[in-house]
This record gives sequence, structure tokens and C-alpha cells, in this order.
Amino acid sequence: MTPNGAFTVGLVLIAMSLTNPGPRGSAILIALALAFAIIEVRGAALVALRRAALIVLPLALFMGLLWVGIVGKAPAEIAAGAAGTRAAALIYVARLCGRLLFIVAVVQLVIMRFDALTPLQLIRALALPVAAKRVLVITLSLIATLRHAIDRAHIALIAAGTLTRAASLRNAVHSWRLIQAVWLSAVTIMLGRMRDKWPVENTLSLLDRSLETGSARLFAGDDRIWLPITVGAAIMALIADRIGAS
Amino acid sequence: MGRRELISGPNFSGRSGALMTLLRDGAFAAQSFYVGPYSEAALSGLSSTIADEIGIYRAKPEIAPGAQARRAFAPLDFAALGRREPQTLSGGEQVLLALHCFSLSAYSALAIDTAFEQLDRENREHALAYLDPHGPVANVALIDNRLPPLPGWRTTERAADTAEFDCDPRRPVADLPRRDAPAIDISGLRFSYRRGPDIFRAVDLSLRGGAAYRLAGPNGAGKTTLLKLLVGVLAPTAGAVTLGGERYRPWRTGNRAIALATQNPDHQWCGATLRDDLARRRAAFAGHAPAERLSEARNGDVAASLGIRSLDAHLYELPLAARKRLSWLWPLSGALPWLMLDEPSLGQDLNTRLRLAEALSGLVALGYGVLFVTHDDDFAARVPHRVLALGEGQIKTT
Repeated sequence: MTPNGAFTVGLVLIAMSLTNPGPRGSAILIALALAFAIIEVRGAALVALRRAALIVLPLALFMGLLWVGIVGKAPAEIAAGAAGTRAAALIYVARLCGRLLFIVAVVQLVIMRFDALTPLQLIRALALPVAAKRVLVITLSLIATLRHAIDRAHIALIAAGTLTRAASLRNAVHSWRLIQAVWLSAVTIMLGRMRDKWPVENTLSLLDRSLETGSARLFAGDDRIWLPITVGAAIMALIADRIGAS
Repeated sequence: MGRRELISGPNFSGRSGALMTLLRDGAFAAQSFYVGPYSEAALSGLSSTIADEIGIYRAKPEIAPGAQARRAFAPLDFAALGRREPQTLSGGEQVLLALHCFSLSAYSALAIDTAFEQLDRENREHALAYLDPHGPVANVALIDNRLPPLPGWRTTERAADTAEFDCDPRRPVADLPRRDAPAIDISGLRFSYRRGPDIFRAVDLSLRGGAAYRLAGPNGAGKTTLLKLLVGVLAPTAGAVTLGGERYRPWRTGNRAIALATQNPDHQWCGATLRDDLARRRAAFAGHAPAERLSEARNGDVAASLGIRSLDAHLYELPLAARKRLSWLWPLSGALPWLMLDEPSLGQDLNTRLRLAEALSGLVALGYGVLFVTHDDDFAARVPHRVLALGEGQIKTT
């Protein structure tokens, strides 16, 4: 399977989940995602699901606290001026977070499918214009720069006695200093690259050339099996709930 | 035979500017590969893994047919390290990675701004042999504070063009009273980075006040890691540390005894201006350091000795060499009993290095404890010290 094929499968699944499918449509989409996970991703699928759960869990807790604990009714009930119940609020939060979990899990599964590739190899293999690939590389670069800046700021503030490595009240009080140090570091790291390294080397032009793939095929191998199945499943998901409703 | 240019001279003599002028000279190269003093100017910053960093620079045969003929410079097994983030390499290893990328690239010329000072002796010799005028690289321009004139290289000697940052690190030490630094005792220390091999395996080590220790080992041995453990940036997997006979766990309770000067000075600022930075340090260490050494006036005097007249200077607006000198301010202020300096002489001219060595020797004579990391043998020889040799997860005192 090519990265283009896997990302197409992922995009169709995500797009379909955003059409607000009913129970039958949702079941079809989940079945397709599970089949992809078992056949294509195998053992690493558990890692992908765990990562998705870790990403969505904080939001789910916050949403639960807000809608079930504080508001006590679903948004639709508020719009209708009804009294509302916490159960309806819980269903609302569960559906929203469930959909988000599905989307994040699909993204993770697609990425884990190509775990053997480095980020640059994966981006290079995508059938996208070089400009779009460059945006992806620079986005990853910015994320790495921020992580580097956080590391630098931690060293500075811990060595200066302002923060501690372990959780502490001192850390909470001085967290804004960490933010300031991280932003200053991130900006100066970027400027350091752009002032000397990139202009001397024309590094971005070099990147563009390394992202060109020549005449690579858009889809190949198992894409020919997965793409018709995905399109078929999408059509079934659309039809299934209408049949159920009629 | 390739063109070789060694640009020499003191700090603030315009060497980096001269290097850039040379690179713009079409006769030197249409385009050059650049290795700057620290990671942000040595690596592209566009890759999340070492394999990708190499992938960006590796010449495509269809674009540069001749480039494939050049012998690769590979002092480390970069294929085995391919999945690691480039930023997790030590400073010296990052320079080696940059040189490896250059050797695989289509660039015909190479410019190096003081980056070789981060290399251990063996790697520096390998790198210089690779850059031999009869070797595979066409043109090379190099700034270095430690190298003598090299055979086959044209040396350009520049003179200082400003006295603005005149620096004498001995001055702050001259009026310090005696201070007996408490002993640091380490027993059974183990440490490894997540999913990495053991950096330290059951290390036992005893550091006494009134002595200097040089932490020595090849690039990537874990020298900086030990400093990070002792100031509390990292927590050991196992083992215990005592300070003056009492349990010391800076990773839990915070650093209370060690003034750290980092290899890259920009890894240690905790404020935008020097005044902010020092005010935060004074607040953090109030009650743990003698009040007179924590005063703003004292800090201002030390800053002036290091060439910075105003505490309102924005740190990131100062030249790199001046920032490196300011990184010594907190250790030289005498506020804390232990000084730990990571490659303190990096990027510094001979006069400044000699004065810094004298200042550190003075502090040792006053009873302070000094632990320093350096690949600068000449600098180290001027500070009476014991060697702590790192290797294979152990530290041996010689």
C-alpha cells in the first residue's frame, strides 16, 4: 500500500465521520477502520489507539465537567428552551468525543502504517505539490523547534533555581517565566538558522529538490483493493441510515 | 589542490563577517555548506531524524553527477543513529553530523565558524585530515581560536576593531572572601535516556571543595549529562547524591549549590535582559547565598568586568562571544559554592581563555569547587585539576 492510498482511505473515513452518520453508518465506518488497523497496521494499531485515547482524554474530561457537571443539559435542549437532563448532556459529550477519538485514531493508524519510513520519506512519497510538502516539513520543523526550545528553557530555569524538575508549587508560580523563555528561545533558534545557515546554503531550495519524487505512481499494490472497499463502505454508510430511517 | 583559508584573530575582529564576505566571492564557491558555532547554525533544522537530515543534503546523482565521487566523512555510525532526533546529539556529535552531510552533498565549498572547538582531539584530527588541501574537498574557510597556522592553508590575521566588550574575568574573583565548598558524594549513580543505553552504570564519585575537576571523554560520552544530573535538570534512574554529607536531590527540591555555565550560552538565560535574568537568580537563591554576593551592584560589577556595561542589555541582542562571556557571570559572582562550566572557553580568543583559567584557579584557591568540561587542552593545563575520565558508563578519577 502506498502512503497516497492510506491517506485517501483515512481522508474518506474522516470526511464520512463528519457527515454525522447514524448508528448503522457509524458501525460501517468503525468496521472499516478496524479492518484497516488489523490488516495493515497490525500490532502497532494498539499503540495508535492508545495515543489517540491519550490525546482525546483531557478534552473529554473537560467537556464532561463543563456540560454534564456545570451546565447539566445538552446544547440542543438549551436551544429549544427545554429543562434538559444530565443524561442528554452526557450523550452529547460522548458522541462528540467519540467522533474526535475516531478521527484522531484514523490519523494515528495511517501514520503508524508507515512507521518504518522517516517523516521526510513519508512526506516525499505523498502525491502533493512540492509547495504543500514544504509546508508539512516546515510544520514538523516548527514543532521540533518548540520542543527544543522547551528543553532549553527547562535547563535554564532549573539551573537558575527558578523551577524544579519534579512537580512543585514553585513551578506553578513561575510557569509564565517558562513560557517567556520558551518563546524567546524558539524565536532565536529560528533566527539563528535564517541569518546564516539557510542563506549561505540555500537550504530551502535544497529541501525542495529533495522532496521531488519524479514520476512516482499515485496508487499501487493494495491501494487497488482498499480504495474500492473504502468508497463502497462510504456509500453504504450513507445509505444504511436512510434505509433504517425509512 | 583546494583553496584553504584560516581566519584568525581575537574576538570582535570581524572574523565572521570576513567569512561571509569570502562566501559571497564567486571565485570561492557558487554555494557553500555552513557549519556555525551551535546547533541552530550547524544543522538545517528541517529534519526530525538524523536520517532525514542526511536525506536533505545527500546529492542526487542526476543533479550533481560529480558529488558521488567524494569520499564520505563518517566518524560515527549515523545509519545506526538514523531514527534519533538530531537535537539529542551532543554538540560535538552535531558538528560531526553536519560534516557527514556536507561530505555527501553537492556543495564544493565548506565554511566553519568555530564549530571545530566542540570536537574532541581525535575527531578534530580526523576532520582536519579530511579537509587536507590535497583531500576530497575543494574549498574550505575556517575560523578557529585554537588552531595554529596549518600547512597548505592561507592564514588571515585580523585585529580587534572595538574595545567595547573588553573582558577580564579575574577582576570579580580578586575581592572574594574564602568559601569552603561542601563535598559532593555520588554513589551508585545510574542513568539512561528513555529507550537509550546506560550513560552511567553504578558510578561512585567524590568531589571536594577547593579543587578543580576536568570531566573528560569523547564526544557523546555523557559529560553534559552529568552536569544536568547534578543541577537537577535530569533525575538519575538510581543512586544517591550528598552535599556536605546531607542528602541532595536537586531534581526534586531544586538546585541550591551549583552555578552552571552551559556550553551554548543561550541555554541558560531565564530573562530577556541581563537585569531580569539576574533578578530571577537572586530571588531563587535568596537565603542560600551570602547577601553581599547577591546584590545587584555586585552583579553589575561582574557584568562590567565581563565587558557588559549595562544590566539593561537585551541578552539576545549581544554578539555570541559576549553572550558566552556573560554565561560565566553567575559562576564568577561567587554566589554559590560550586561552579560547573561546560566548554567555557568555546569561541573565546587566547587572552580571554588565559584570564578565565586564572580566574578559575583563583576560585579554587579560595575554597570553591570547580567542575569543567573542555576539549581545550591548553586551557585545562592552566587550571590545576584532577581528571574525571568518562567511558563505558563509568567515571574514573586520575
